[in-house]
Amino acid sequence: MKSIFIKLLIAIPLIYLALFIGLWSSVSDTRPIISLLDMMRSDSATKIIDFSSDEEKSSKPKPKPNKDKNPYYGDLHVHTKHSFDAYIFGVTATPNDAYRYAKGEGIMHPMGYEMKLKEPLDFYSVTDHGFFMGMMNAWADTSTDISQNDFALPFHNLNKEENLTVESAGPRSALFSTILAGTIATTHGNFHPNTLKAWLTKNTQKALKSFDYDIHKSAWEDVARSANEHNDPGHFTTFIGYEFTTSTNVEGGNLHRNVIFNSSKAPIRPWTRIDSINPEDLWTWQDKLRDKGVDTVAIPHNPNGSNGQMFEMETFYSDPINKEYAEKRMRNEPIVEVTQVKGTSETHPLLSPDDEWADFEIMDVRVGSRPPTYSKPSGSYVREAYLNGLTLEFTKQGNPYKFGLIGSSDTHTGAGAFDESNYWSKVGILDGDPENRGSTPLAQENIERLDNYMRAFNQPRSTVTLDQGEYANTGFTQWGASGLAAVWAEENTRDSIFKAFKRKETFATTGTRIAVRFFGGYNLSSIDLNSEMLVSQAYQKGVTMGSDLVGDGDKTPEFIVWAQRDKNGAPLQRVQIIKGWIDASGRTHEKVYDVVCSDGLQVDPVTNRCPDNGAKVNINDCSITQNIGSSELKANWVDPDFDKENKSFYYARVLENPSCRWSTWDAISRGFKPREDLHDTIQERAWSSPIWYIPPASDVDVVPLGGTVRLINLST
Amino acid sequence: MYLVDTAMSADEDKNIFVSDQEILSLISAWKSQVGRDPTDDELARIINNLIDEEILYREALVLGLDQEDTIIKRRLAQKISFLKEESIPEIPTPKELNEYYENNKEKYYIESSYTFTHYYFSENDNSLDRSLQALKSIQENNKVNSDPFYLGKTFANEPLRNINTNFGTSFSKELMKANVNQWNGPLQSTYGHHLVYINSVNPGYIPEIEEVLRQVEVDFLQMKRDQAVKEFLNSIRSKYTIYINPDLKF
Repeated sequence: MKSIFIKLLIAIPLIYLALFIGLWSSVSDTRPIISLLDMMRSDSATKIIDFSSDEEKSSKPKPKPNKDKNPYYGDLHVHTKHSFDAYIFGVTATPNDAYRYAKGEGIMHPMGYEMKLKEPLDFYSVTDHGFFMGMMNAWADTSTDISQNDFALPFHNLNKEENLTVESAGPRSALFSTILAGTIATTHGNFHPNTLKAWLTKNTQKALKSFDYDIHKSAWEDVARSANEHNDPGHFTTFIGYEFTTSTNVEGGNLHRNVIFNSSKAPIRPWTRIDSINPEDLWTWQDKLRDKGVDTVAIPHNPNGSNGQMFEMETFYSDPINKEYAEKRMRNEPIVEVTQVKGTSETHPLLSPDDEWADFEIMDVRVGSRPPTYSKPSGSYVREAYLNGLTLEFTKQGNPYKFGLIGSSDTHTGAGAFDESNYWSKVGILDGDPENRGSTPLAQENIERLDNYMRAFNQPRSTVTLDQGEYANTGFTQWGASGLAAVWAEENTRDSIFKAFKRKETFATTGTRIAVRFFGGYNLSSIDLNSEMLVSQAYQKGVTMGSDLVGDGDKTPEFIVWAQRDKNGAPLQRVQIIKGWIDASGRTHEKVYDVVCSDGLQVDPVTNRCPDNGAKVNINDCSITQNIGSSELKANWVDPDFDKENKSFYYARVLENPSCRWSTWDAISRGFKPREDLHDTIQERAWSSPIWYIPPASDVDVVPLGGTVRLINLST
Repeated sequence: MYLVDTAMSADEDKNIFVSDQEILSLISAWKSQVGRDPTDDELARIINNLIDEEILYREALVLGLDQEDTIIKRRLAQKISFLKEESIPEIPTPKELNEYYENNKEKYYIESSYTFTHYYFSENDNSLDRSLQALKSIQENNKVNSDPFYLGKTFANEPLRNINTNFGTSFSKELMKANVNQWNGPLQSTYGHHLVYINSVNPGYIPEIEEVLRQVEVDFLQMKRDQAVKEFLNSIRSKYTIYINPDLKF
């Protein structure tokens, strides 16, 4: 008995020592935190919690589900006070406030004015940053141990004298970038018990000095609880969600994703960039959760600010993409956020020089970069990604870029700004008034403030001298009042809407509530466009957005597109179909076709363009021409350049008549002229998810080898 | 502005001096975004928020939450709010719920919903004339040539709110006046004219508490959380004297 006791006494320190040696061999060098995380597999975030039941909160009558589906509009990208940067932006809105806003109530902007929607939304998801979620409270609060660390000091003093003033914009922005750069992610050191604990519990976050697990979990619990409390099946849908905020290591290419959960169940904590900065690890985690019955979609956003790294031709670690990678990516990332406050990522004038509408709300810098650093277009826009997907498939690597489209806001005030005429941008007091977002000239004291701040933080000059004076030029002029996520679903419930995400029956808008239906098939011209049965027959005879249309002998695909205007927006100007394809030599092409014009105008068959409908905007008061444009546009369309051998994709783009951009509204309502170096007007728009045409099986298989293409005739 | 007494009593921390500068800076930020002067109500709200925050901050100091006086005022105010929120018991009693429900019944009003079908005539094509023509055809049992409506033909249990969103408010106002089990119209929407046949109406009503119990529970707890902070503020506010310039011009 006694000897066992002694053996145990000896064994315990030995085991402890052995563990340390194991840990030492994993992380013995002094590489930065990112490398440490490479070695430490962090996968404790798979414990599932049911944050509440999905039971209905009332027995009020529900609208009957519509088998032909209804359009529902929402926002899947909303930050509140739990985000690490919300504190820096002066935001105190809770998830509860955010959901109240989505349902139509007014909530307060940090600068004291009310934010309210014209009409409520159908669904909403609060997606606070997963990493350091809830942690700011702890850093700012000097009664906690954690706040005594060096990294927390700037937070102690941030708002010491005045709370919500624009004067603090400088240090606030600097803090934001500091956190993004990860410099506060210092570890306890290899032999600290917390590092051992992190290693043993496979929760890397615990090795960080800046991390408090209890606070983190309670913030996540608040996010999940609020979502569940506001979910109202049949009337208003919420999703538990968070943002996986990662980027490439050296170039800072934006790889952010929002993760949306399908039920009231979610893991005990979000998987974050502290667990891994590699999105492929996020997908592994999603796969594990799916095995446990919790389904998720991850939605990449701001590919425009990724410096070409959101849609690369190789993996995160520069290996060739293969089918397994492509399938895993598509299983977990069926949709992409193509438009939001920080610009639109459909395409870029350099990538689509023949598309007259490509120069639209372009943001050309990397997300969160200081000083603002150019983001290269190639690899950063969805149309090119669709084309590159065809190329990868051509070389037998699978297609990882067969995603559908949504929009969302990325607001950090809990409340999305979707209306050009009532715009508050997204980062609280940093861009909450026209002077700071650069749409009206700066007052003298603000010019000095900006100059001083730029000097203090070693940043380039951020004002510009124009006709009407000196303007802030801090990048906010490239942001805009966008966008919305829209789905076609049978009813307004979590289940029905989530399934629409999965099958990519989604479309994106720039904040307007345009609706667009889009079908492809082989016998669609037999459907009467004026029949009440139009939609049900189109579903029966064809496929809709997000689907594959498989080749059928020599038949040419036919398409039906039907768009309806936003009753509070401008009338519709035209509907276009954008086609991309790959030819037999592996070259990709794209083409924009106008397919139906407003006011009964006819498409020119040579140029594929509608004539000018004559709608104008009066820049002095933002009024638009009355009685021009259509409330709905509908067409049957056959691809005039169809080749059945070419793998292709088709998506619809719906354009409104032009209207004033937010920067014009800002200027004229304060007695200024719009800034001469910005677009005065925009054309609000919607994009459907594509339909992919898959050629019929051929007896000729193309096998590219060593950079050349060799044709093998399988029949010999 | 009242003069500040430099030799203040022991109660000095119960005086709050709101400077013109502070108010003017808030007003200027507000004007710059909203594009007009705040109304009296809005101004009162802005100033009250400022005062509430100041009180919460001071009270947090009294509780010693500040330690080295380096905590930001705002977070302190939030922290004490949070402490007050957290003291709420998790499970409300049936009596509490009933009481809350009785006092907030109108919040649970279940709005009327409609089951109807319609013929739609697009504004692109003479909608008023065609709809009048069609009404005649219906009465004479002839075939009606209408257009397909974007959101469909029949709607079941559609709440008034959705009808507002999908057809426009002038349509739903007309619909509320229309008769059941007969053709009504033409009703004008944002998209043209409609002839509407209403099959049934579920009139709006205030439900029994059992029907909405879960929602009442959620709202009650949220109310308690909000109230805890408000009550605290009210109880403490009387101890403070607010000094503010009544003649401030902006």
